[in-house]
Amino acid sequence: MTRATTWLAMLAFLAQPCLAAEAPVEATNSNWRLGAALGYGIRSNPLVQSDDIPIVVDLDIAWFGERWFFDNGDLGLTFADNDTLTASVIARVNSDRVFFGKTETRYVNLDLAGGPLAETVEFKPPDRDYAIELGVETLAGGRWGALQLSAFHDVSGTHGGYELYANYSFGWRRQRLYIEPSLGLSYKSADLNDYYWGVTPDEAGLVAFDYEADAGINWHARFMVGYQLDKRWAVSLVTEYERLNDEAAASPIVESDSVLGWFAGLSYRFGR
Amino acid sequence: MMRLLALSLLVFAVVPTAQADDMMLSVKPLLCITDSRNPVCEMSFLVVWESDERGYYCLFNDYAEAPVRCWNEERQGQLTDDRSVRESFSFWMTGTDAANRLAEVSVEVLRMDSDDRRRKRRTRHVWDIN
Repeated sequence: MTRATTWLAMLAFLAQPCLAAEAPVEATNSNWRLGAALGYGIRSNPLVQSDDIPIVVDLDIAWFGERWFFDNGDLGLTFADNDTLTASVIARVNSDRVFFGKTETRYVNLDLAGGPLAETVEFKPPDRDYAIELGVETLAGGRWGALQLSAFHDVSGTHGGYELYANYSFGWRRQRLYIEPSLGLSYKSADLNDYYWGVTPDEAGLVAFDYEADAGINWHARFMVGYQLDKRWAVSLVTEYERLNDEAAASPIVESDSVLGWFAGLSYRFGR
Repeated sequence: MMRLLALSLLVFAVVPTAQADDMMLSVKPLLCITDSRNPVCEMSFLVVWESDERGYYCLFNDYAEAPVRCWNEERQGQLTDDRSVRESFSFWMTGTDAANRLAEVSVEVLRMDSDDRRRKRRTRHVWDIN
């Protein structure tokens, strides 16, 4: 975590003069995209002894300059933008860590494979650190839909692996009603997969056996429906299903091979 | 108490005269949404007006200097205005003085997508809504 924090601080420091050199920063400036949604939703947690992640308030904070941009935690520098594609270098925080912040300590008398234990023991799924990843993202779009391709590598020394990601979405609008299905997949390298979903010999014990995860491919499907009430207010419903790769799903600390998320709420867009 | 009641009645009796020029104008729909696939809204606007007083009234919009329609010795009216819309514009009512807008309603055009592809990127959060 110390490394990750250091990287975050470095990125923030490096970004500062660049942001200052870009267009004026004002809440009403079109460079900003500021929004908030209030509602209710849940993202399921595939880990054993874990709680689902509730979603009540969602903040959308983004700033897009000619080259630099900040999009809800992702910091980017665009180096190509033409009629065909937009390509950027992006620094981000890996999202797999989010599940490990919602685990619980319990006293158990069965191991994670369901076998009885000789005595009741205390068990908590192992913790994992955030990773700062640096990568390249390419966006293309047109009447045929939108395609997002990216490749990210850990630069914080947390997992040492990489991820390749692809997502295709197609938006359909009928005045106030907007529907957008999307589909995608992500290849997670053995190092990345093993860091988050493996169990090291040090972590293994009576409850969890040690496990080494190889590389694998996750796939996801997403469906969004939005209805614009007026210029600023909209009602939104989003649901997303992500199937974990077999290597992650087979881990003793994983009890579900998928992540299901949904959110329904009222959203407000500032500055429109 | 009686004095207060009498004063109230006097005030209410005076109000209709003070509101002689009051005009209510409503337009539906008030929002038109465009994007790259549908850059123009083909809309049918229902315009309804009502005044407290009979008179000569005209309906204008930003698309022409001439009125869309005028009514003589009427205190209410309505019409349907079909048009292709690309930008926000207004409907307004005038009386005999065309420079004096008695009531005005704006129709907003909201462009929902952007030429900047980065604004459409997904950050893989399920709560990432459009």
